[in-house]
Amino acid sequence: MTQDPLNVLIVEDEVLLAAELGYLVEEVGYRDVGHAMTSGEAAELARAFQPDLALVDVHLSDGPTGIDVARLIAEDCGGVALFMTANVKRLPEDFAGACGVIGKPYSEYAVKTALTYLGHCLREGRAPGLPPPSLHLAPAWADRWGLADIKKAS
Amino acid sequence: MRSQAEVRALLHEVDHRVKNNLQLISSLILLQARRAQDPSARDALRSVLERVNAISVVHRRLFQAEDMERFDLAQFVRDLVADVTATGPDTIDLRLDVRRIDIQAAQAAPVALVVNELLSNALRHAYPDRRGVVEIVVRRIEGAPVIIVCDRGVGLPDPTSPPRGFGLTLADLLCRQLNAECSFTDLEPGVRATVRLPVEPQMAA
Repeated sequence: MTQDPLNVLIVEDEVLLAAELGYLVEEVGYRDVGHAMTSGEAAELARAFQPDLALVDVHLSDGPTGIDVARLIAEDCGGVALFMTANVKRLPEDFAGACGVIGKPYSEYAVKTALTYLGHCLREGRAPGLPPPSLHLAPAWADRWGLADIKKAS
Repeated sequence: MRSQAEVRALLHEVDHRVKNNLQLISSLILLQARRAQDPSARDALRSVLERVNAISVVHRRLFQAEDMERFDLAQFVRDLVADVTATGPDTIDLRLDVRRIDIQAAQAAPVALVVNELLSNALRHAYPDRRGVVEIVVRRIEGAPVIIVCDRGVGLPDPTSPPRGFGLTLADLLCRQLNAECSFTDLEPGVRATVRLPVEPQMAA
């Protein structure tokens, strides 16, 4: 592959989950740029590394601050967040700028297929097809990636 | 007395913790599987992971439904298949013929484990050349919820008699717990595994 690998930041306060996610990120060919456990660390790492994608748990060591992290990444860092949470229903309607959510508990396969799919979307600006069942896209990003046309065609 | 809102908030909290703990368990197993040098140790950890995943699929659905006491078996099978269709660049074609059947939420985890064992048994052993069809059927027959997993592969040496692998022993034990009948039919070629859950009087519609 001649393309640069996607840079991925992991924002998760359970270190074992973060460690495992790090492996999965690398197994699909992306770069794991760092792990944050609090919103403060996440902000610091996001500003330093300008990740393309951040995997963000809603509940971090300093509270339900993952929402703010997602917004910051979308507005100030030129990247986009993907939520990974057990509380899919409690996300704000606009997804705080994040591109979607994977519900916990997720499987290894669910994460890998979602990462691969999102990598394609982010590079091409267009979805390669319907998202994998584990991945729920934010409405704004589904629009941007042309999901309406894809649904019509399928 | 707690208000309904408080009860709901507590339930959400418990749900959240169960899901996070399941995630923690599967991450632990995966991390250890990565470290394991011995292939048979790695395989054993992978099978445990699969079983934990089946329970995770149950919990992901359980609190999403409007009615938390019922569990839609058909949706579970779709979710499970979406997760396993997975494991590697597989050429086995999985076909679903599933209709909505609600079972009691309390039965969801053991039923999920049984389905997982039958499916992974077929995927693992039916087609040594990794080519073929595995069909899963979920429907009511004479009021009873029935799950069928069917392949056209090499078949079991003698599917009706022991000794069996751990997976099928597990399925047997769980069927006993569920008061379900589990039978294997030789299709020559292939195997049809049928699990028939007991009829619930109020759900037999």
